[in-house]
Amino acid sequence: MIQKKICMLGSFAVGKTSLVRRFVESIYSETYLTTVGVKIDKKVVRHNDSDISLLLWDLYGEDEFQKMRWTYMRGAHGYLLVADGTRRNTLEKAFQLGQRVREEVGEIPFIFVINKADLIQDWELDPAMESQLTARNWTILRSSAKTGENVDEAFSQLTRKMLP
Amino acid sequence: MADASTKRVPEDQPDDSSANGTGSLEELRHLILAPEQQALERLHHRVANPEARTEDVSSVVAEAIQLRRKQGGSDALSEALAPTIETAVRESVRKDPATLADALFPVMGPAIRRSILETLRSFLDSFNQIMDQSLSVQGLKWRLEALRTGRTFTEVVLLHSLVFRVEQVFLIHKKTGLSLGHAVAPSVAMQDPSLVSGMLSAIQDFVRDSFNSAPGEGIERLNVGDLDVWVEAGPYAILACVIRGIAPRALRDTMAEVLENIHREYSAQLDRFTGDTAPVSAVNKELSGCLEYKYKEGPKRKSHSYVWAAAGLLLLLVGGFFGWRWWQYHRWNNLVDTLREQPGLVITSFGREHGRFSIRGLRDPLAPDPRQFVENAGLDPVKAEFHWGAYYALDDAILQQRANQLLAPPQGVTLNVQDGILQLAGQPSAAWLKDLRARALLVPGLRSVNFGRFSPEQRAFDQTKSEVQSVIIKFPVATAALSSAERSDLRSLVPKLTSLQNSSSALNQNLHLEVVGHSDATGAEGTNQSLSQRRAERVAWELIQLGIPDSALHAKGVASAEPVRSEDTEENRQFNRSVTFVVNASPAPQP
Repeated sequence: MIQKKICMLGSFAVGKTSLVRRFVESIYSETYLTTVGVKIDKKVVRHNDSDISLLLWDLYGEDEFQKMRWTYMRGAHGYLLVADGTRRNTLEKAFQLGQRVREEVGEIPFIFVINKADLIQDWELDPAMESQLTARNWTILRSSAKTGENVDEAFSQLTRKMLP
Repeated sequence: MADASTKRVPEDQPDDSSANGTGSLEELRHLILAPEQQALERLHHRVANPEARTEDVSSVVAEAIQLRRKQGGSDALSEALAPTIETAVRESVRKDPATLADALFPVMGPAIRRSILETLRSFLDSFNQIMDQSLSVQGLKWRLEALRTGRTFTEVVLLHSLVFRVEQVFLIHKKTGLSLGHAVAPSVAMQDPSLVSGMLSAIQDFVRDSFNSAPGEGIERLNVGDLDVWVEAGPYAILACVIRGIAPRALRDTMAEVLENIHREYSAQLDRFTGDTAPVSAVNKELSGCLEYKYKEGPKRKSHSYVWAAAGLLLLLVGGFFGWRWWQYHRWNNLVDTLREQPGLVITSFGREHGRFSIRGLRDPLAPDPRQFVENAGLDPVKAEFHWGAYYALDDAILQQRANQLLAPPQGVTLNVQDGILQLAGQPSAAWLKDLRARALLVPGLRSVNFGRFSPEQRAFDQTKSEVQSVIIKFPVATAALSSAERSDLRSLVPKLTSLQNSSSALNQNLHLEVVGHSDATGAEGTNQSLSQRRAERVAWELIQLGIPDSALHAKGVASAEPVRSEDTEENRQFNRSVTFVVNASPAPQP
């Protein structure tokens, strides 16, 4: 059995937990997030005819009250960087987090997910930001935890990146 | 080599005179290198041709795999072959599941049987223990506790009877928090080990972060209610044991030892670990070594004694009950045997009916009262139930009673029955004997009457006999001649003798008439003897003349030896000059 540790990173209330909830069945309550700062769930996906266990470490989003615990990132095989399309500052925060990951654990596979695609009319994506994203040459997906759009796809793409 | 191949000279190149020097050199080179070049040509052809390569590999592939296995690199080989084999198996199943099913059939049966056996064994072990506990006073207390606390009885038993038990063992990759292996004790409810491993590792990090611990430090023990989690950390992996109860310190040593073994054997794999557990799949066996447990000994032994005592008492009660029943049955059987021996009783069936002992059969009204036998045997007459049909018994004893009842013999007369025939004894009166034969045959079961000497024929015979024996034929002094009066007496004797003759043959007897001659005591003895003999013969002759058969007569003279009367007077002496008769009857020989 192959297992991979995946972290969910992003600002507070960008929808990381909702994406995970959309994706898995869980045994731990979400109160762990606010107490221990992490909640772990599991999802088995198929890749190249074998089962892969994804251990999803849903990390508490950084806000003014609590810092993210970077030790939880240790040993991660990949991560989802999540931002909220309706809040421009969450994208900027995501850029910072991405930079921090590179410093802490090095270059590991990730997918940049801009969530809340169901509210696309309220998105605060100006041309400057879009050009900045294009320049970074990242894999970017627009997702919606509400409709399920690109949720499975995000995890599948990440799995493919981790297991070439 | 590459040089040689690029600079080779084609054989069909024409000789050029202008380049004669070069041509000679080429020729020389050709002469020297041609065989090698040809060999290279062939090799190149082989290498470039996939078919030839396949052929080459096919001839050594089996040996190559064998060699690799001998060299000890079988893990890598298995790893390399596993995906192909998996795909091949999957493809085979997709095409025709029957092929693989047929191939696996001989393996599946034993494997399934073994698995079922193991499950049953572990179930039975815990079941036995719970049964032991259930039968004791302790067990009842625990059952009450289970009801009160809402726990299952098994849980309560485990809580009380276990000193400790390691329920689960986790091996966690230190860096990633991923699960490397997991072992679990039988019948323990468990969560997904990979999630638990992750969370345990997260909590380790959380605590370490929160209290700024040094990198090598971490949680060594977590305590939650009845559960203890002991954590032992190595360079690459963390070993965590979930323990119920109070484990001894020695368990730490076991954990450390297991962790050391794992690090020694798998340090390279653990260092390179990127989430694939296949290379470390064998650690689960090592982890099982930590699944220790210890039961309390005291209560168990105690509960056993309760169980034995209860079982013994039960056995005694059951044994006693059946023993008593058997003894009772035996006594009733003996009673039936006694009753069977009684005249006038016939037992056809017997047995228990509705808690009472029932005996069925036939009973003569004159048979003894069976209830008396029940009392004599010391059995409760209330428990006996008799169902009798009436009948006339043919037993002699009963017949005798019946004859006494119906024939009412007078005082001094005894009736006996032998083989159904009535025998008389005593002095029966003639009046009672009258019509006895007819009355006796009215007694049910009597076949006949043996009157013996009380028969009419016998009585007639006796009568005539005494009459004949009282006859005295007198003679004058010193003579054997009969007077006419005496001759007439003899003639009147003939019918009596004929009647005797008839009676005796009716009684099946032979008749003998002794004609005894007497003389008086006067005169010489020799003369008297001859005279008495002649007197007897004279009378016998006379009787023969009168038709009495010669064979029935016997004449003898006794002189004065048997006087008829004592000779005290002349008149009495007259009686001794005479002939008298003695009648004898002897049983006739059977024809």
